[in-house]
Amino acid sequence: MIGRFVLRRLGIAVLQLLGVALAVFFLIRLLPADPVARLVGLNASEEAYAQAERTLGLDRPVVDQLLSFLGLSSDRGADGLADGSLGLSWVTGDPVFLEIGRFLPVTLELVTLALLISFLIAIPLGMASATRPGGIADRIAFVWGLFAGAQPDYWWGLLFVFLFFFILGIAPPPLGRIDPLLIEPSVITGFLTVDSLLQGRLDTFVSALHHLMLPILTQVFVVSGAITKMVRQNMIRALQSDYILYARCCGLSRRAVGRYALRAALTPAVTLVGIFYGVLLSAAVTVELVFSLGGIGEYAIRSILSFDYPAIQGVVLIVALVSLLIYLLLDIIHAYLDPRVKY
Amino acid sequence: MSARAPHVAAAGAEEILSVRGLTVAFAGSEGAEHVAVKDFSLTIGAGEFVGVMGEPGCGKSTAAIAMMGLVRPPGRIVSGEVHYLGRDLLAMSDAELDAIRGKDIGLIVQSPRTSLHPMLTVGRQIENVYRAHNRVSRRAAHARAIEMLQLVGINDPERRVKSYPHELSTGMTQRVLIAMAMSSGPKLLIADEPTSGLDVTIQAQFLDQMWEAANRTGSAVLVVTQDLGIVANYCDRVVIMEHGEIVEASAVRDFFAAPAHDYSRRILSLQRESAASVAGAPETERAAAEPLILVEGLSKDFDIRGSKDKVHAADDVSFLIHRGEAIGLVGESGSGKTTVGRCIVRLEEPTRGTVRYRDEMVSDLTQREFTPFRNDMQIVFQDPTDSMNPRWSVEQVLTEPLDLHTTLSAAEKRKRVTTLMRMVGIDPAVREVKPRQLGAGRQQRIAIARALATEPAFIVLDEPTSALSPETRAEIIELLIRLSRELDIAYLFISHDLTTIERVCDRVVVMYLGQVVETGTRAEVFRAPLHPYSRVLLASHLFPDIADRRVDRPERVTLKGEIPSPVSLPEGCYLYGRCPNQVERCRAMPQALEEVSAGRSVRCWRAVAGELPG
Repeated sequence: MIGRFVLRRLGIAVLQLLGVALAVFFLIRLLPADPVARLVGLNASEEAYAQAERTLGLDRPVVDQLLSFLGLSSDRGADGLADGSLGLSWVTGDPVFLEIGRFLPVTLELVTLALLISFLIAIPLGMASATRPGGIADRIAFVWGLFAGAQPDYWWGLLFVFLFFFILGIAPPPLGRIDPLLIEPSVITGFLTVDSLLQGRLDTFVSALHHLMLPILTQVFVVSGAITKMVRQNMIRALQSDYILYARCCGLSRRAVGRYALRAALTPAVTLVGIFYGVLLSAAVTVELVFSLGGIGEYAIRSILSFDYPAIQGVVLIVALVSLLIYLLLDIIHAYLDPRVKY
Repeated sequence: MSARAPHVAAAGAEEILSVRGLTVAFAGSEGAEHVAVKDFSLTIGAGEFVGVMGEPGCGKSTAAIAMMGLVRPPGRIVSGEVHYLGRDLLAMSDAELDAIRGKDIGLIVQSPRTSLHPMLTVGRQIENVYRAHNRVSRRAAHARAIEMLQLVGINDPERRVKSYPHELSTGMTQRVLIAMAMSSGPKLLIADEPTSGLDVTIQAQFLDQMWEAANRTGSAVLVVTQDLGIVANYCDRVVIMEHGEIVEASAVRDFFAAPAHDYSRRILSLQRESAASVAGAPETERAAAEPLILVEGLSKDFDIRGSKDKVHAADDVSFLIHRGEAIGLVGESGSGKTTVGRCIVRLEEPTRGTVRYRDEMVSDLTQREFTPFRNDMQIVFQDPTDSMNPRWSVEQVLTEPLDLHTTLSAAEKRKRVTTLMRMVGIDPAVREVKPRQLGAGRQQRIAIARALATEPAFIVLDEPTSALSPETRAEIIELLIRLSRELDIAYLFISHDLTTIERVCDRVVVMYLGQVVETGTRAEVFRAPLHPYSRVLLASHLFPDIADRRVDRPERVTLKGEIPSPVSLPEGCYLYGRCPNQVERCRAMPQALEEVSAGRSVRCWRAVAGELPG
C-alpha cells in the first residue's frame, strides 16, 4: 500500500521536476540579459564574442539548447538531465552538480537545526498559551509573534551581530562557518557538524556550532512566533473537542488528557513543518549573506548576477527536489500518525 | 414559574447522588452571562432509573455533565452541590474527582463519534480508561476491552478492538462508548440521549442491559432523552426541564396519568392525539384503486473500490403502490430502504429489476428520457438543511422545479410559490429569507413544498421526520397526512420509526438486509406480525404506553448480535443466528417471499407453515 503510494508520488515528482526544468529554462532565456558579454567583457572583440557564444552553445537554436539541457540531444557529447548531469558552470567550468553539493549542505544544516529548535520552543510555548489563554505564556507568544514577524530577518540578523558580537562579544564575527584558524574536516556528508563529529574533531564541532549560533538565532527568532501561534490554535481546537471533554468525564488524569490533546494537535502540525521548511529555505538566502556562510542562497544569487544559466537551472531544480522530497516524507509521517489518512 | 424547583426524594432506597441548587452559566458577549441550568436539584437512589426530558436546548445535557463537575468552555458552575455517597464532588480536588469520574459515575454521550479520540484505536481508549481506575497491566486491560465489547454485542471483538472510530458505524461507536463507561462497573450511569443514533432493536437491547444492571447490582441510571417511549418503558421517575429549570418531577405513572406542567401536557397530548387517530382511522380500502408504481425484482449492488466484492444493498425487492396510497418501508439502518427509494426515482441505477410507473417502464428509460417523469415522482430527504442550497432564498428554492418543468410566466410562478407556501403552512412573507434562518421544522416544510411544486403523484419520503424534535415531528406528520388526503398523492415513507409509520401508512413493507421479509396492511403488520424479524422490531419499539411497559413483560424479545455485513451474506435465511425462532433447517435454506393471503406475504418458511407461536 505505502510502497505504491511512494512510487506514485515519486512518479508525479519526476513530472513536476520536468515542468520546473522547462519553466526555468525558458524564463531565464526571456531575461533581457547577455551572458556572453558578461563573460567576455564589453570590450572584447567580435571574434572572441562569437567564440564564447559558440562554447556556451548560445549560437544554436533554443530547441537544440533545450534538448542538450535535458540530455536528449544526440549530436553533442555533453551530458544533460537525462544522464543525471546539470551541466558545467559557465563561470567556474566546474560541474554544477558538484558545486551545489558543496553549497547546499550548509543551508540544509542551518535550516534543519533552526526548524528543530523552533519547534522545541514553539510546542511547549504553544501548549502553555493554549491551556491558559490570556496567561503570561500566551501574552509572551502573542507579542513575540507580532514583533519578530514584523521586521525582515536580515535586519534582525544585523541587530544580533551588533549586540552579540560587537557589544557583548560572545558571538564570533559573522565571517564563515568555522574559526579561520581551524582546518575544515574532510567532506563526508558536507554537513560541518556531522563531519567533524564523525572524524572526532571536537574543536571544529564546537566552532561550527558557535558560528551557527547567530544565524540559527535569527531564523528561530523570526519563525517560532508564527509556529507557536499555529500550535496554540491546534491545541485550543483539540482542547475544546468532545473527545477531550469525554476523556475528562471518564476520569483520565490531567496528564493523560494532555497527551490526548497533544496527539491531536501535533498531527496536523506535521504538515506545518513542510511549509516552514520552505519559508526558512528562502529566508536563508539573506541570512547566509549577512553571516557569509556560503550556502545555496549565496550560490544562487551569485549565479543570477553572473547570468550563469546552468547554475541557475541547477539551483532551482535541486531546491524543488528537496522541497518535493520533504513534502513526501511529511505526508508519509502524517499518514502514519493519523489513521484517517488514506493513500 | 415556581420560585423553588420541586425536589424529588429517592423512593426510600440508599441515596447515590444528590444534586442541590446546581446552576451553570455561560459567558456571553460583554460580560453578560447566560444561565443554562438554574437551581437544579435531584436525588437518585440505588437501583433507580430516572429520566430527564425537555426540548432541545433546555439545558438537560449541560446539567448531566455538570453533575460530574464539568462544563463545556466557556461555561462555569456558578453554585450548587453534588453529593455522591455523601461527598461533595464540586468541592473535591481534581485528582479526587478523576478517581470518581469514569469509575463510580459513568457517562454516555449523544455524539459517540466525536467523543472518541480520532487517532487512537477504540481498544486503546477503553484500556486507558480502565487502567486509569484499576491497577492492571496493559494486557489485562486489553482483555477487559475485548470482554466489554463482547458484552455490548459487538461481533468479532478481537478484530474490532483494533479499529479506529472512523472505521465503525455510529451504532458501533455508541456501543464502544457504552463499553467504556461500563468497564469499571459504575454505580451511577449518566446517559445523555444514548440511543438517538441507534436502531430500535439495538436501542431495546441496550436499555434492557442498563435496566437489568441497575436492578441486579443496585446501580442507578440517569437517562437524558426526548423520547417518551424510553421514559414510559424504563424510567421509574421523570424530571421535566424547560429553559434550564426543572418544571416537573414525578413518578412515571403519575406523569402519564396527570402531567402537572404545560410542557408535559403538550407533549403527552400530541402523543395521545396521534395514538387516537391511528386507532380511530378506518382501514382504507385500496383494492379498487389503480396501481401507480410496480417495483419488481429490484436489486442494487455497489462495487467496493479495490475489491471484487460487492455490497448487496437491495436484493429482489418487489411491491406495488396504488394511487394515493402511503406505503411504509421499515427496517434497521443498513437494510436497504433508502437504496430502494432512490432506485425508484432513479437517483441510483438499479442493478437488476424493473420499476413501472402507470404504463411506462421507467427503469428502462435513459436519464434524459426519465426527466419528464420527475414531475410526477419526487423525493424529500432526511436533512432539509443539507438538501437546499444555502445561498438561495426560499423563493428561489421553490421556483427551481417550476423553471425546470413548467412554462409558467414569472408572475404565475410567484403565485404558485405563494400557494405552495400556504399549502405547507408557511407564511409567504418569509419568501426572501434563506432556509437556514428558519427552524428545522419549517425547513422540512419548505423541502416538502419543493417536492409538491410540480404536482407529483408520488413522493419518496426518506426519513423526513428523523432529524426533528418530537413536537415538530408530530406537526410534519399531520401535514403529510393532510397533503396526501387533499392532493391524492402516494407516498413511499421510509423510516425506522414505527410510531410514525403506523400514523401515516396504509400498508407496510418490512425489509431486512436488502430483502423484503414481510408485507401487509398496517393493521396486519402492527397487530399480528408474521415474520420473526417484524415481531422483534415491534416488540423492541418503545411505544409510550405505560400500561404495557417493556420492563414489565415476562419475556423481552431481542435480536442477538448485529446486522451482518451486506458484503458476505448468509447462505440460508438472512436472519439465521439472530432469530429467536430459528431451527437447524434455517441455516442453509434460502427463504422465498411467499404470499399467504391477498397483499400479505412473508419470507419465512416456519411462518408460512404456521409453526411460529401465536
